Amino acid sequence: MLKGLGGITVGLPLLEEMAFSAVSTTAKDVPVRAFNVFFGLGIPAPLQKEGYDGVLEPLKPLRDKLLIMRNVDQVRCDVSGINAHFDGATGSFTAMPAGGEAKAGGPSIDQVVRQAHYPDGLPPGMVPTLIGGTYFRRSRVGRYLHSYKLDGTVAGTMQEKPRDLFDRVFGVVNAGTDGDARKQRLKRSVLDSVVDQYKFYTGANSPLGSASKTRVAEHLERIREYELRAFEMKHRNSEGPKLPPRSKVLHGGQADPGGQGIDITLEELTTEWHLMADLYALSVQMDRVRFGSITFLAAGERIRLVGDYEYDGRKIFEFNDPKQLNASGDQGCSHEWWHKFSEKKKNEQLRAHAHMKMREVAYFLNRLDSDKEANGKSILENSMITISTESGDGRHNDSKRELSGVFHAITGANSRFKTGEIMDVGAEGLDVYNTMVAAMGVKHQLGPAKRERRHVSSILT
Amino acid sequence: MLVAIVPSQAGDRVHEGLLALYDFRLAKGEMVKDRSGAGQPLDLKIENPKNVRRSEGGLEIRGQTLVRSVKPASKISNAVKRSAAITLEAWVQPDNKKQEGPARIVTISGNSINRNITLGQEEDRYDARFRTTETSNNGLPSLASKPGSLNLKLTHVVFTRNTAGHAKIYLNGKLNSSRSIGGRTARWDPTYRLGLGNELSKGRPWLGTYNLVAVYGRELGADEVRKNFEAGLDGESVQVELAANQRTAKEKFFDEEIVPILSRHCLECHDTATRKGKLDLSKKAKAFALSNGDKAIIPGKSAESLVWEVVESDDMPDEREPLTSAEKQLLRKWIDDGAVWTTDEIDPLAHTFDRRATENWVRRLTVSEYIRSVKSVVGVDIEKEARELLPSDIRADGFSNTAYNLKVDLKHIEAYATLAGLIVKKMDVQSFVDRYDKRLNTTDNSMRGFISNMGRDFLRGDLNSSEVAAFRGITTTVTSTGGTLEEGVGLMLEAMLQSPRFIYRVENQRGDGDFWPVSEYELATRMSFIIWGAAPDETLLELAESGDLFSPEVMNGQIDRMLADPRTVKRSIEFANEWLNLDRLANMSPNAKRFPGWSRELALDMKAESLAFFEEVIWRQNRPLADLMNAKVTFATPRLAKHYGLEPAKGKGLARYDLSNVLERGGLLTQGSVLTIGGDEASMVTRGLFVLHDLLRSGVKDPPPCVDTTPVLTKPGLTQRSIAEDRVANKSCGGCHGKFEPLAYGLEMFDGIGAFHRKDEHGNNLREDGEILFPGTAKPVPYKTSAELMNLLSGSDRVNQCLTWKVAQFALGRPLGQPDALALDKIHQESQKGGGTYASVIRAIVKSDLVQKTQTESDNEE
Repeated sequence: MLKGLGGITVGLPLLEEMAFSAVSTTAKDVPVRAFNVFFGLGIPAPLQKEGYDGVLEPLKPLRDKLLIMRNVDQVRCDVSGINAHFDGATGSFTAMPAGGEAKAGGPSIDQVVRQAHYPDGLPPGMVPTLIGGTYFRRSRVGRYLHSYKLDGTVAGTMQEKPRDLFDRVFGVVNAGTDGDARKQRLKRSVLDSVVDQYKFYTGANSPLGSASKTRVAEHLERIREYELRAFEMKHRNSEGPKLPPRSKVLHGGQADPGGQGIDITLEELTTEWHLMADLYALSVQMDRVRFGSITFLAAGERIRLVGDYEYDGRKIFEFNDPKQLNASGDQGCSHEWWHKFSEKKKNEQLRAHAHMKMREVAYFLNRLDSDKEANGKSILENSMITISTESGDGRHNDSKRELSGVFHAITGANSRFKTGEIMDVGAEGLDVYNTMVAAMGVKHQLGPAKRERRHVSSILT
Repeated sequence: MLVAIVPSQAGDRVHEGLLALYDFRLAKGEMVKDRSGAGQPLDLKIENPKNVRRSEGGLEIRGQTLVRSVKPASKISNAVKRSAAITLEAWVQPDNKKQEGPARIVTISGNSINRNITLGQEEDRYDARFRTTETSNNGLPSLASKPGSLNLKLTHVVFTRNTAGHAKIYLNGKLNSSRSIGGRTARWDPTYRLGLGNELSKGRPWLGTYNLVAVYGRELGADEVRKNFEAGLDGESVQVELAANQRTAKEKFFDEEIVPILSRHCLECHDTATRKGKLDLSKKAKAFALSNGDKAIIPGKSAESLVWEVVESDDMPDEREPLTSAEKQLLRKWIDDGAVWTTDEIDPLAHTFDRRATENWVRRLTVSEYIRSVKSVVGVDIEKEARELLPSDIRADGFSNTAYNLKVDLKHIEAYATLAGLIVKKMDVQSFVDRYDKRLNTTDNSMRGFISNMGRDFLRGDLNSSEVAAFRGITTTVTSTGGTLEEGVGLMLEAMLQSPRFIYRVENQRGDGDFWPVSEYELATRMSFIIWGAAPDETLLELAESGDLFSPEVMNGQIDRMLADPRTVKRSIEFANEWLNLDRLANMSPNAKRFPGWSRELALDMKAESLAFFEEVIWRQNRPLADLMNAKVTFATPRLAKHYGLEPAKGKGLARYDLSNVLERGGLLTQGSVLTIGGDEASMVTRGLFVLHDLLRSGVKDPPPCVDTTPVLTKPGLTQRSIAEDRVANKSCGGCHGKFEPLAYGLEMFDGIGAFHRKDEHGNNLREDGEILFPGTAKPVPYKTSAELMNLLSGSDRVNQCLTWKVAQFALGRPLGQPDALALDKIHQESQKGGGTYASVIRAIVKSDLVQKTQTESDNEE
């Protein structure tokens, strides 16, 4: 199962154990999976009306496997006085206003499905939630991270470099025993005592409150994962591991110089993203991952993009944000095209950027559509994959309009949801999400307990 | 019926320090309600109801029974454990003079031989047992009233014990007997329940009538005892006491439900500055009346309150989303319940997110705290390795030590394990062992003693027996594989370094849902991490172990000692770095054509400047935090000095510059580190919002519908100032922009990278005059120069208050909200009395309820 990763073939490490540890995907019942795919800055609602003839064109080859949902209202996610991109982004997949800069107002839909189907954790060897992405703006966590636990805290660490994501999924842990059996026995003895202590603090006699216990329980889960990788996965594939190539784009604080944006070429951007998307998809295909989220550009992303953009053999646009905006710093970033959107204008640059984003979202989706599972459908078709963004209008001058008509697309989730349609659902995101998770067999409902709910049956098969 | 036979000469009962109060008002049922209003009620349940007779205000025990609390009396036990003082008061009428055992009148105990406190009857005497480190688990020796002092009349019996160990029994308001009961209350068991009429394990019945039982977490003085006696059983005086305590529930309702509604929906137009319709809903003094004399809010009468009328009809908020029906109901309930208002002024920024005080996250050590704690407990410098191996802590809500976001991933686990190995390798294990036991050997007793003593220091508190056994297990495994004692201890240390008690700040968070005093070790740990950002040292731990840290004098002495330690300076600099987000400077990349003089080195010089400036003003000059706004001194490398237009000093490093004669500079806002937040365009919006949010602790709402938010670029004839003034003058924008852009007018002469110019790149003349509208005030204050703006900021109580909040947020490691407001007000007032210095703020924080108490979660025990 060697896959091309951004044009580079890698040998897979730990092949034996992975095949052993992963729950068989040859069973007739395909595993429950849920992923959130986020792209930054959104598609203004009027452009969504153009369907596949407009910026959604790159999704057209997948149209039979997608339900495009228009007119999804996320207005309740507005946090007054806080950056609109952050509001909408934290509300995507949670449908609730943020609870802090790194805290959602509730869980994301992938996590409620995970919790319901795997209340005691994923099978050993799996990464409980994989969160990755190619993005640059990072002033607030909610801009780029899109999996949140039931308490609203982040469901995992963001893997922003392909190598980090690779390590998180396939990496070997060095316990420092050098293969010495005695040393290994002693290190395990140390770890056993550590595990016992963490168990105590998650148990009935723990002095900790519920939020803290959850935190310590997560720690315990990670120790067990460490234990498995350090002591139980011994047989490396002789061909590997071969790490993916080093990332060539900026990461960490350098990627977001004080909100002023960075210069980047289209090739640099897509090379990085393709590697990330390939590795993420591979992790899913190898059944190492069933839940999580992936981000292509953050909410309110600030990049000054340069390069020729082609699609399907034809040149769509020549990106050159700083030149076309005649500005440097933040004001020379593609973000400004969203500020300048007007239904009365051509919005040529915004259209090109949005089109490119759809091409890249489609790239990831296609990776999950390549092989068939036991039921004859692809992972793309069998999983609950939700694609969304932070706003339906980027002008920041009407939070109601900005958070109305936020683009959503979902996959069929093994025939639970309709596909092959573009639908005006005309519903709150909260109702759409609750309908989705209920269809996934989840009792937990998002949002305020006392709220009157509306079942959006139109999206169900 | 009882009022007639007891005195009722005075009015109110004493309520300060009240923990539990039973007035037996219910005449029916199996429950006796705790009406103290203090924390979670500690209600009692009557076993064998047929053996009691209830009347309004009385409970007569006629046969064997037990009236016991439905959950542990932990709110009392924890408070007394902390205060070492108590008052147990009862109005009782014994059935006979033969009861003995003593027969339990009021007890907090486990069984007949284990108790915290018991008031009983020993024939013709009252008898009080009180557990301390100098009395037995049974509270012996006890204090008894004088022989023959017990009669069969209704009697007011009070037992008090103060911190110094003086115990007294008062009967009917007069001192009857006293003696010293020395020792500490560290062994009070919070799991014991409160019982009336019998021992918790039965077998010590008391027959008679109760009319009132009260418990205080402090000693009532003789005057106070007399006052309660004289108040008698007058229902009205008890009601006054109840009302005083129950008001806290209404205050809580206001803080948690109403303030967020007012902030989100009303204050945009009805704050002090805007006062649309002449209504100011941000201040208590003004919220209840319109300036024309009409009543906006009439406590108790929503139907007659204008605010309710316009909200109910959706006439308000104007051009914004109406309140939801749930919000409306809350507002209506608040008015009808008396419109209790707690704070002087509502701070809208505190309600951006829904922050209730109930979230209590265990705090993982940040990378810095981990490094310093390792240094503190084993003396090893692991900074380089830890910074390389541990993932960075992610900034959230302004700081990277925000507890809810301090999560762990696989990389952390691997790093902790690897670092533990590296730390032990760097240690001289034998010398470390010798600190505790020079004759340590592998026998069980020797090793267990060592683990207990060393573990206390390592894990910031006593180890229980199972923890000792777990660590002991490692050493036996090593021994069984032929390893040495040193190897065994080394591996045990590795385990401790990965223990949740080392990596996290583990505290007790279980209780009754109320705020509980922290334990001795918890207090030592909180103090240490707040002041030093590191684990407590031996002195603190020893004071915790002895319980002396609870003494205000000892605590003050320790705060002084810790503030004088160099670690405090480092911790404060960490605060400054986080508050101003100075790490972003290294990543800045302004447009190279516009700013050819920019370099990464210059950026790092700017960071170094601000940190050195902070250290100079706060520590070397010991000036108030607010002086950071206008102190006429700075530090610069020759490169930075040149950038600022100063004559570079000799040498390559940072040099001190006196700015007394440099008009344009002086204070943080005139430093490159802060000025660069405006980006290439030196945005007045961004700079103004920084001042508004981070110095004035205020905020504004989102832009109103349909304004063009596209930034406007400068050009000949159009400066940043004129663009900003247009926005401020614009009807749609000015309401909000007028609150923050003028805050940056005084900075226009500083370009995007902090260089000073009198003209911009287009040759436009720049200005530095403006006016500042302090939140909570109605009239802007003009300034002519940048320096005048800095002086205004420095002299502003609002800025001072904001700095207190910032330090408090960093100290507590969590965002602050309305439930914290009252405590923060007190901290601010205290710190201002101490000069408003960093040290005085820290001192006030440590002594505040925010540090001395912890929010517990209810056990829901029945």
